Amino acid sequence: MSNIISITRPSVKQAKDEDSDDMDIDEELNLNDAKAKEIQDIVVPGELITDDPSWMRGHGTYYLGEKTYSAVAGVILRVNKLLSVIPFKGRYNPETGDHVVGRIVDVTNKRWKVDVGAEHDAVLMLGAVNLPGGVLRRKSETDELQMRSFLKEGDLLNAEVQSVFHDGSAALHTRSLRYGKLRNGIFVSIPSNLIIRAKNYAHDLPGGVSVIFGVNGYCWLYKTKLDNSPGVGPKSSLERKFEAGVKMDAANSAFSPGMGSDAPNKLEEKASWDIYSDKNDSISATTKETISRYRNSLLALSNFNVAVNETRLAKAYEISLGYGDVSELVKSDIQKSIAEDLINDEKMRG
Amino acid sequence: MSRMEVYSPEGLRMDGRRWNELRQFSCQTNTHPNASDGSSYVRQGNTVVLCLVKGPMDTNRATSTTRASADGPVLNINVSYPPFAGIERKKRSKNERRLSELSIVLERCFLKTIVLKNYARTVIEVNLTILSFDGGLLAACCNSITLALIDAGISLYDYVSAVSVGIYSETALLDLNSLEESDLSFVTVGVVGDSDKLNLIMCEDRLPLDKLERLINLGIQGCHQLRKLMNDTVKEVGVELLSKRQ
Repeated sequence: MSNIISITRPSVKQAKDEDSDDMDIDEELNLNDAKAKEIQDIVVPGELITDDPSWMRGHGTYYLGEKTYSAVAGVILRVNKLLSVIPFKGRYNPETGDHVVGRIVDVTNKRWKVDVGAEHDAVLMLGAVNLPGGVLRRKSETDELQMRSFLKEGDLLNAEVQSVFHDGSAALHTRSLRYGKLRNGIFVSIPSNLIIRAKNYAHDLPGGVSVIFGVNGYCWLYKTKLDNSPGVGPKSSLERKFEAGVKMDAANSAFSPGMGSDAPNKLEEKASWDIYSDKNDSISATTKETISRYRNSLLALSNFNVAVNETRLAKAYEISLGYGDVSELVKSDIQKSIAEDLINDEKMRG
Repeated sequence: MSRMEVYSPEGLRMDGRRWNELRQFSCQTNTHPNASDGSSYVRQGNTVVLCLVKGPMDTNRATSTTRASADGPVLNINVSYPPFAGIERKKRSKNERRLSELSIVLERCFLKTIVLKNYARTVIEVNLTILSFDGGLLAACCNSITLALIDAGISLYDYVSAVSVGIYSETALLDLNSLEESDLSFVTVGVVGDSDKLNLIMCEDRLPLDKLERLINLGIQGCHQLRKLMNDTVKEVGVELLSKRQ
């Protein structure tokens, strides 16, 4: 049988390559080398990765006999003798210790179901949250009955992944003052693979705005907490403990009605109720505008596949100031130039 | 030469192609990043199909009530055929027999292709929209699902590429358009990767059995060519993503 004839459109790519003839030859060579390596590491489903049986097969691979094949389109990752393929795109895969932002979707038997953008909903056990009445308080049946007064469907929270079950679903906990319900801000969802891994995911940004980059790609932009009350914020726990000690007296006098439990530490009682409050602080129009600008800058970066962290977001915000009004930033061409400006700026600094 | 001759003595078909010539094929992935986990847009000649994949996700998120299965995902394939897609404007009922048959065939095909063990107790929803129809419906749907699943980062054993092949007296014709489909008997084959394994085969007409092998052979070659084209697109998208991400 003779070959199959197929006619495709002339590719635009080649035309672009011809344009770049005037590029410095050295640079071009280097670029080509780097590019060639990248292309080598890109695999597609069904592509043979290796026929050497000594490799261990990780995520994104499968094997037939001694041969290991890729199961997803992505980049090969080799760690010692472990071979895995990281997909270009895909749902968030929870790992213990991840700082995530999620939304409550269901309140069931002693647990909340939380949407974290993964394959399965994560669970937040009643026992894994701080309730009014101190850390050591036992959870009673009354607590079970009024779970909705703490967190109800639609509430946003940030939490840490406590453990991962064998099917890949996660158990969360909020047993730290860093975690808990989110208020005073706006929710932004970007692909999880655009979050740059870091030590800390909660940051203060210029302009009185703070951000939490959930590792799952859900982000929260909110007004920076100005007062010293404990709660979600980027402060170190040491600092907060110190402030809590100072505030002890004030808190004792201003006791808010609790849940009828005999709390040993009234400060914690108050703090916990603050955490579960649904009321936003008053936010000035300028802060709201700043938050919106940050949101649009973040979306601009994500729409053009630029990975983000706090420095990049702050820089993108700075660049966006040059493009006029906040409402201008939803235009695709402006988003594109923000993303390009950011990358160019980083290249200039090296 | 009559304009409506299916295959002229000179070896040309109604639209001027040779017997072994595919229609123009082009595809894109990630066309709807906000509405889905993976999406693709496939054009085979004048047949245009859009595919959106949602999932893998929890069963309670699915639009239709589905029971989770412990040993693999539940695959829901919906085909929507809007009135404007065909040559004449015609409203089709939602559960037309041909369309539901189509989705069952595709479901069976892709349950063999997805790495099932990774997706226990989940649902994968596939929504296909036929934007324009000119023959080779099953083939175009199959190709677009493959691309959308890859875009969604779902583990697959390999590409499944499909093409239709028809028979005109002694000649096998590759990739029929709707005029040819109405005149000729044809079979649609879907091939796994660059092997000779068939994951999908569907024939709705009578075919002489002794010609079947020839048809399938031609189909397999056509599928390999399509796989190459899809592969180029996927790799190109990958390189572009990597260059931006750093």
